[in-house]
Amino acid sequence: MSLKELIKTATLKELSNRLKNKDFSSVELTAAYLERAKELNQKTNAFITFNEAEALKEAKKADEQIAKGEAQTLTGTPIAVKDNISTKNLKTTCASKMLENNTPIFDATVVLKLKEQSAVILGKTNMDEFAMGSTSETSYFGAVRNPYDLSAVSGGSSGGSAAAVAAAQCPAALGSDTGGSVRQPAAFCGITGLKPTYSAVSRYGLIAFASSLDQIGTMAKTAEDCGILLNAIMGKDNLDATSAATPFSDSLSEINRGVKGLKIGLPKEFFGDAISEEVKVAVFKAAETYKNMGAEIVEVSLPDLKYAVAAYYLISSAEAASNLSRFDGIKYGHRSEIGETYEEVIKNSRSEGFGKEVKRRIMLGNYALSSGYYDAYYNKAVKIRQKLRFEMDEIFKSCDLILTPTTPTTAYKLGAGDKTLTKIYSADICTVTANIAGLPAISTPCGYDAAGLPIGMSLVSKAFAEPSLIAAANAFEKQFERRGAVL
Amino acid sequence: MSYETVIGLEIHAELLTLTKVFCGCSADFGGEENTRVCPRCSGMPGSLPLFGRGAAELAIKAGLALNCKINNFSAFDRKNYFYPDLPKAYQITQFNYPICTDGFVDICTKKIRINRIHIEEDAGKLIHDDELGLSLADYNRCGIPLIEIVTEPDIRSAEEAKQFTAAVALALKYAGVCDAKMEQGSLRCDVNISVMPKGSKVFGTRTEIKNLNSLRSIGRAIEYEYSRQTELCERGERVIQQTLHWNDALGVTKALRSKEEAHDYRYFPEPDIPPLFITDEEIKAIKNTMPEMPKEKKERYLKMGLTPADADLLIFDKALADFYDEAVKCYNNPKSVASMIIVELLRRMNDLSLPAAELKITPSDFAELCKMADDGTVSRGAAKDILKQMLEVGGSPMEIAEKGGMLMSNDTSAVEAAADEILAANPKAVEEYKAGSAKVFGFLMGQMCRSLGRSANPAIVKKVLEEKLNS
Repeated sequence: MSLKELIKTATLKELSNRLKNKDFSSVELTAAYLERAKELNQKTNAFITFNEAEALKEAKKADEQIAKGEAQTLTGTPIAVKDNISTKNLKTTCASKMLENNTPIFDATVVLKLKEQSAVILGKTNMDEFAMGSTSETSYFGAVRNPYDLSAVSGGSSGGSAAAVAAAQCPAALGSDTGGSVRQPAAFCGITGLKPTYSAVSRYGLIAFASSLDQIGTMAKTAEDCGILLNAIMGKDNLDATSAATPFSDSLSEINRGVKGLKIGLPKEFFGDAISEEVKVAVFKAAETYKNMGAEIVEVSLPDLKYAVAAYYLISSAEAASNLSRFDGIKYGHRSEIGETYEEVIKNSRSEGFGKEVKRRIMLGNYALSSGYYDAYYNKAVKIRQKLRFEMDEIFKSCDLILTPTTPTTAYKLGAGDKTLTKIYSADICTVTANIAGLPAISTPCGYDAAGLPIGMSLVSKAFAEPSLIAAANAFEKQFERRGAVL
Repeated sequence: MSYETVIGLEIHAELLTLTKVFCGCSADFGGEENTRVCPRCSGMPGSLPLFGRGAAELAIKAGLALNCKINNFSAFDRKNYFYPDLPKAYQITQFNYPICTDGFVDICTKKIRINRIHIEEDAGKLIHDDELGLSLADYNRCGIPLIEIVTEPDIRSAEEAKQFTAAVALALKYAGVCDAKMEQGSLRCDVNISVMPKGSKVFGTRTEIKNLNSLRSIGRAIEYEYSRQTELCERGERVIQQTLHWNDALGVTKALRSKEEAHDYRYFPEPDIPPLFITDEEIKAIKNTMPEMPKEKKERYLKMGLTPADADLLIFDKALADFYDEAVKCYNNPKSVASMIIVELLRRMNDLSLPAAELKITPSDFAELCKMADDGTVSRGAAKDILKQMLEVGGSPMEIAEKGGMLMSNDTSAVEAAADEILAANPKAVEEYKAGSAKVFGFLMGQMCRSLGRSANPAIVKKVLEEKLNS
C-alpha cells in the first residue's frame, strides 16, 4: 500500500510502529499528511495554519533520532494542535480576529511535551472563536465542515481537530474541552475524543476560556490512540498550579482488560425527550454490547441534570468575561483605528475584534457576576455545581462507569445554529456534567443515523480512572464496525 | 453643632519578597521600564499565575505583628476592572477569605481594631508624556506582592490616624514584612472618612481619599476633609459618597469618580490558584522566627532604666535599636550607651544624613567608646571627637585616641608642673580666686587644659589645681 493510501486509515499506533520499523521516514509521512491536509482543507477548512516548513524540519530531526534508535512513542508522528493552544513562533489565533496576528513567545506545556518526544506539529486547527460554540461556525476564519457531509457542521469547539482526524488530514490532534468541546465534535465527526480528569493535563499555554472547566483533551481514530497521546501530555506541571500528578503512569495499562465484571450505569435523565430516537437506540445497543461482553448494566439517576446546562453557561461565561478582558487592544489583541480616549479605544477594539457569540458570553458572564445579580446567578450556579458533583460521586459509589449519548442528535446543517440558539446551548446537556464535576469522559462512535452521519456515545468515570475508561471504550471499538468518511 | 470624625484606614504595604507574587520576576523597586516582566505578570494569553508561599509567610508575619488571627484556609479572588496599568484587566486579591482577620494595634489613647489583612498584587505604573501626548505603561511593578490592612472605623482624628499608620509601619518594619518607605510608595494609605454629630450612633456618608503617601498628607487630608464635610452638613447639604484624590500642593481633595460611575468589580474565586491551606504547625514555626516587636522592646528598655522618651527614640528606628541592643551586649551600661546614642550619635547622623542602617561603626566599637568615656580612658570631649572620626574616617576608638594623643594621662607630675607654671603666669587670677571669686577657677582650668592638651584628665587637673590654689 502506498503511503498516500495508508494514511487514510492508519492509526497513530500503527504509524508509530512503522516509523520505528523504518517502513517510511517521518519526513515522507509528514509530507504525505501535509499534502493531503492542504488539499482537503479546501473542503473541511479544518486547519487555520499549516506549520509546513517547521514540520518538515521537526520530521528530519525525528528521523535522525529514529535512526539512532532513540525514538519515543510519538517521535516523528504528525499531530495537529487546536488553535487556542500556544505554539512558540507559530500563530495562535483562537479563531478570532482579536488574535489574528498573535504569535506566542512560549510553547504551551502540552506542545513542549510533544516536542520533547519529537512529535511533528502539523498545524493549528480551526475552532469556534475562543472555544465558545458547538458548531465551529463562529470562527473568524470560516466554518469547519463535517467530512461525513460537507454541508453539515463538524461540531465544536474543537471542530477543526475532529474534522482533521476524520478526514485523515492528521492521525491525531489536541483539542480543548470546556463543556464538551472535544467529545461533541468527536461524536459529530465519527472519531474518538477523550477529555481527561480536570488537572491531569497542564493548562499552561491554553488560552483560557473558563479556567475551572477547561481541559486539554486528545482526539484520534481510536481510544487507544487517545491514550497514547494522553500519555505524552499528562502530568503535574510546575507552571500550572491547578495541575496534578496522575496516579497512573500509563493510561493504557488496562487497555485489554475489557469490561467484564464492571458495572455501567445509564442515568435515566440522559435519555429524555431531548434525545433523538436514533441516538437513544444506538446507545442502548451499545449498552447491550457491553452486557454481552460481561458488564452489568444498571439504571442510575442524576436528578439535577436539568440545571447542569444553566450552571455551566453561567460559570463558564463568568470566567470567560474575566479571562477575555485582557484583550483590550492596548496590550493584547486587535486595536481599533478609531477612538481618542482609552475607553473609546477599548470599546472599539473589542467591538471589532470579538465575534457575536463571544460578545454574548462576555455580556452574560458580566451580568451573572454583577452586584445585585451575583447571588441569583453566579452563586446559584456554583451551588448547583457542588450538588452535581455530589450526585456524580453518589453514582460512582455503585458504578464503575456511566454511559450516555454524547449529543442529543447527529450533526446538523451549517447555518442552522443561529436560529435556535437556546436549542444549541441545551444540546450540551450530555457533556457539561463531566466538566462541572471535573471527571474524565470519552466519546466514541456507536452508530450512524439514516443519513449516514455518526452517532457518539460517552463513557464517564470517576476522577483519574482513565485507564479503565479507555479500556472500556477500546473494548467497544473492537466490536463496532466503523465507517470512514469518504473524501 | 459639633461633629465627630469617623475614620477607617486601608493600608497597602509591599512585601519584602525577592520575587513577584505570581511569577519569578524580581520584586525590586524601580528598574528600567518593562525589564522585570514575564508572560505571567504581563498577563500574556495562555499564561497562568503561580503563587509563591514566601508572600504568604510575610503576610502571616504581618498578621502576627498586628495581633491578628491567622486563618488556616484562605483563597484568592479576581477583582475585575479595565485600566491600562493592569494587563490582565483583573487584580488577583483575597476577597472572601483573607489570610488574617481580627487584629488590633494599641496607640497612645486606645485600641484600633483591624478587620482583615489580605494578599494582593500591585498594578503597573503609567507614565504620561504631555509633550508627546503619550501615555506609556511600565509593568515592572505588576505583580509585586502587597498586603492590604483594613481597620474597623475606630479612628476619630487625624492624630490617631497618623499614630496608627506610624505604629503599623513600625511593626511591619520590625517583622521584616515591609520596608515601609512611604515616599517610595512601599506603604500607602487610603482613608475612609465621614462625619456625624457628636454623640450620634449613625455614621455619616463616607468618602474615600486614595493613595496618601506620607503621615503629613494623611493628617492634612483628614483635616481638610473633616472641614469640608462638616461645612456641607452645616449648610444642610449632603456628603456624596465618592472617591477623592488628595492634591498635596493645593491642600484640597478632588473627586476622582462619583458613586454613579463606581466600579462593580465582579469579584469571583480565582480559578487558576488553589486555595491556601496553612497548618497550625506552620503558623507556630513562623511565630518562632518573629523578632522582638516594638511594644516588647519598649517594655524591656524601660526595665533597663531608660526613660520612655529615650526608649521611643531608639525604637523608632529598628536599625538603631538593633545597634543599641548589640552595643549593650558588649558594654552592659544601658543608660550610658543610650545617652551616647541619643546625645551624640543621632546628632552626628543627622548632620551626615546617615540612616542607622548604613552606619559603618560596629556596635562593639561604639560600646568600647562609651566605656572609655565612662572610665576616664578619654575625656567626654575627646569621646565626641573620636566618634566623629569613627563615623567619617573609620577606625577603632582606641586607635583613634592613641593616634590623636587623646588618652588621658594619670601622671600628676606633668599636671603639677603645668599648674605651677600657670599660677605663676597669672598672679592676678590667683589673687581674685583667693578673694572668693569662683568664676576665675574656670578660666584657670581652661588654661591648664590648653597647656596639657587632650591627654589631661579633667578630674586630676581639677584636683591638682584646687590643691595648689588652696595651699
